[in-house]
Amino acid sequence: MHNRRKELYRNILLYSIYALVIIFFLFPVLWALSLSFRSLKDVFRYPPHLIPSHFTFENYTTVFNTSLIKTYLINSSIYVLFTVIGTIILSVPAAYAFSRMRNKAKGPLLIIILAFQMISPLIIAIPIYGYFQQLHLLNNYLGVIIAYIAIQLPFATWLMKGYFDTIPISIEEAARIDGCTRFQSLIRVVLPLSLPGLATALIFTVIQSWGQFLIPFILLSNSRLFPITLGLYQYQVSESIHTNFIASASIISIIPAILIFLILQKFIVKSLTRGAVKG
Amino acid sequence: MKNDISKKETWAWLWILPVIAILSLFYVVPIVKVGLYSFTNASFFGGKFHYTLNTYGFLFSSGTFWIMLKTTLLFVIASVIFQFLLGFSISLALVDGENRKLLGTTFVRTAVLSAWVIPGVVIGIVWKLLLTGASYGILNYYIKVLTGYAIPFLSSPTWALVSIIIANVWRGTAFSMIILYGGLKQVPQELYEAAQIDGASAWKRLIHVTIPQLKQVIFINLALITIYTFNTFDMIMALTGGGPGRATEVLSIYSYDSVFERWALSQGAASAIVLLVINLIIVIFYYRTMKVGENNA
Repeated sequence: MHNRRKELYRNILLYSIYALVIIFFLFPVLWALSLSFRSLKDVFRYPPHLIPSHFTFENYTTVFNTSLIKTYLINSSIYVLFTVIGTIILSVPAAYAFSRMRNKAKGPLLIIILAFQMISPLIIAIPIYGYFQQLHLLNNYLGVIIAYIAIQLPFATWLMKGYFDTIPISIEEAARIDGCTRFQSLIRVVLPLSLPGLATALIFTVIQSWGQFLIPFILLSNSRLFPITLGLYQYQVSESIHTNFIASASIISIIPAILIFLILQKFIVKSLTRGAVKG
Repeated sequence: MKNDISKKETWAWLWILPVIAILSLFYVVPIVKVGLYSFTNASFFGGKFHYTLNTYGFLFSSGTFWIMLKTTLLFVIASVIFQFLLGFSISLALVDGENRKLLGTTFVRTAVLSAWVIPGVVIGIVWKLLLTGASYGILNYYIKVLTGYAIPFLSSPTWALVSIIIANVWRGTAFSMIILYGGLKQVPQELYEAAQIDGASAWKRLIHVTIPQLKQVIFINLALITIYTFNTFDMIMALTGGGPGRATEVLSIYSYDSVFERWALSQGAASAIVLLVINLIIVIFYYRTMKVGENNA
């Protein structure tokens, strides 16, 4: 009897913790969501109330029709798409080679790549601004994409290398004896077994590139090329923009990231918990 | 197999080459360049410059640099402590709940993780909507109802620092939670059972079983969140812009402003080198911890 009551208390305690955690993590976004469905009058009504007195979608249509947000969303999609393609094409062969080679230089090279992954992009962005100015890559789609790929490459290479390490060489040997080239055995044997790792690299590249701010902030001044993060930042800096518009624009920019996350959550949780991601 | 080694692995080098080329162009050369700039008196607009140690001399003797560094350290230390404690507590509560087959653990995990996929700029904006002193600042409304006073979250220098710490904890807790959650799942269940038979309380089991078992994961987690917090830029830009005044100006914002707002390229480069050195020290610590773990395994 005594034990059962103790168990009950413990469960109640746990549920209370869960409730607090959920409130802390969902409340800020829900508040922005709530503001995004209000008229301006409703936004400033005092005392503030949690639920809009009447829901309106007008802010969303206004933001879509009067701001460059459509352009920003398209730009972000372009940057993310080409960054993903470039990052995967470059990192997969390199990660595979790192995983299979035995040269003594491998260790130090990998440490250097790990260090690159962790240093602030700001440090390298200062000289890159100078390069790109000379190469006419400022205010240029290609310039942004190249810089994004350079930022994502160390992480993707490390992650994929870690995954390839878990696939035994013996599996490939049969294919090699059958006359497969290295490349064929990577594509036909190793890569199909590495799909969870590949999915993880892909998700991380998408989420991080979608949220990237510093690089476009430094490389772009033409608002027609802004990704959603920079567009939103400039949008909220301009004093004349109403709070309800800012709230709805924020919600619009969150939706793609949250959707990708919810759909592919399993992969993210799995790879984070198995320790494949070390940065 | 021996053949493979004697072939000198030319294929492997060829496959790695594109990555090495890009990383050299985008990391090695820029880092060297920043290093060189930091020893000059160069301006953002180019023109003639000469090599000098004065930039560092000026940086280290300027009051604003040390105030900024203190702000950065306060921001990092407080963020890391709370991200870790909160992340650890949530992961413990989740694993305990899963063992008891409680409902809703997946939902809690998803709620925490969703904060982590939102772009930093948006996090800054969302928290601004919550903390603002304007009439729609709902947090201040509740605080006023409870205490009678409003808190100047974004307009007082001290509170602005507290605000960026809270927003950063909100953003970063997910990462600590999921890494520690993964670690907790690996702790052999028998250890807990043995401790329980010995009559160890829940607290004692945490101190004597869980934490020693997680030591390496904890160190790795601490190193990573420390680096991420030092590199924070976007969220603070959106939430406070480094203000009011320079109250929330951390190292990355200081470097950015030096170069792109005050046009002092050499000074910005020198402060970027300070950030680089901090980053590298943590990387070394991180790498050593990882190595120790591999050798023990």
